[in-house]
Amino acid sequence: MTIASLMLQNKWILELFYSFVICAICMIIVFKTNKIYKLSLHQGIRYFRNAFFFYGIAFVGRYLFGLFSDFSLDYIFVTQVFFEFFLVMAGFFLFYSLVWKRFEQKKTHYFSSLVNSRIIIFELMALIIAILDTSWRTYYFMFFSQILVFFCASIIAFFNYRTKDNKKHKFLKFYFVAMLLELVAWVLNYLVAACFHWRHIVLVDIGIINVIFFLSFLCGVIKLTKK
Amino acid sequence: MTTRKRERLDVIRDILQTVKENRQIKPTRLLYASNLSPQMFKEYINELMEKKFIKLDIEGKEGKEKKSFSLTLKGQNFLQEYKVIENFIENFGL
Repeated sequence: MTIASLMLQNKWILELFYSFVICAICMIIVFKTNKIYKLSLHQGIRYFRNAFFFYGIAFVGRYLFGLFSDFSLDYIFVTQVFFEFFLVMAGFFLFYSLVWKRFEQKKTHYFSSLVNSRIIIFELMALIIAILDTSWRTYYFMFFSQILVFFCASIIAFFNYRTKDNKKHKFLKFYFVAMLLELVAWVLNYLVAACFHWRHIVLVDIGIINVIFFLSFLCGVIKLTKK
Repeated sequence: MTTRKRERLDVIRDILQTVKENRQIKPTRLLYASNLSPQMFKEYINELMEKKFIKLDIEGKEGKEKKSFSLTLKGQNFLQEYKVIENFIENFGL
């Protein structure tokens, strides 16, 4: 029995395990960044924390929906809208954490970073993307939105790496590489849906890239929050 | 020589550091030491008091009150964590 066939047989367990690992990583990142956000009240840290909070919710949802799955159409509709909404929002939050300074020059006091006049625009966009995808039984709206988000984020990360003191701030390089990896993962996601008919082995590769992406952030957060 | 505009967190660090070094400092002296306009100074001080990083101590009788700022435990913690926070923000480009 080959590894590929073994993985195919245990696809369900593998997906649950994958969701569980991502959830655990996100929980640690949220916990660690929340501590320094509470102390500094820095908006960039707040949006960064929110990004991983939303990734965590998306994968917790997938994990739980996976555990109690029934295959009715309503159930699949709710699952996909839920997962896509939080996944797309997480991407938006990660991107916004890089550019928030350009939009929030004046001191703003938002009661909540999850429901306010700026974030509601992202939430509406994420909801529309999730509903369009689910209604048309596709993932393309999510793929295109995330490819665009991570393409822009990669450019900003590269710009940060080139302009800031990258010898002193070594994680800038890893951040740029992590953004590129996630961009590649989303492009592969699109290709596997459009050209490879959801071939399982490519999906496993995407899963591995995603785990590397989250692990690199986890390592960075743990290292940088260590006193 | 080129100078960089102080970021919000730098200003907060500078104010807290000044209060810490003086243990207790009068508002006017802190205003001069902070290199801020009175308007900006007031905004920062209000924010720091809201966050409970500093507290205003009032001594003496009514009409002859002596006001001074001192650092709270939360403010001391912030100063210790400042390097970590600054490093985090720079490394993630936030």
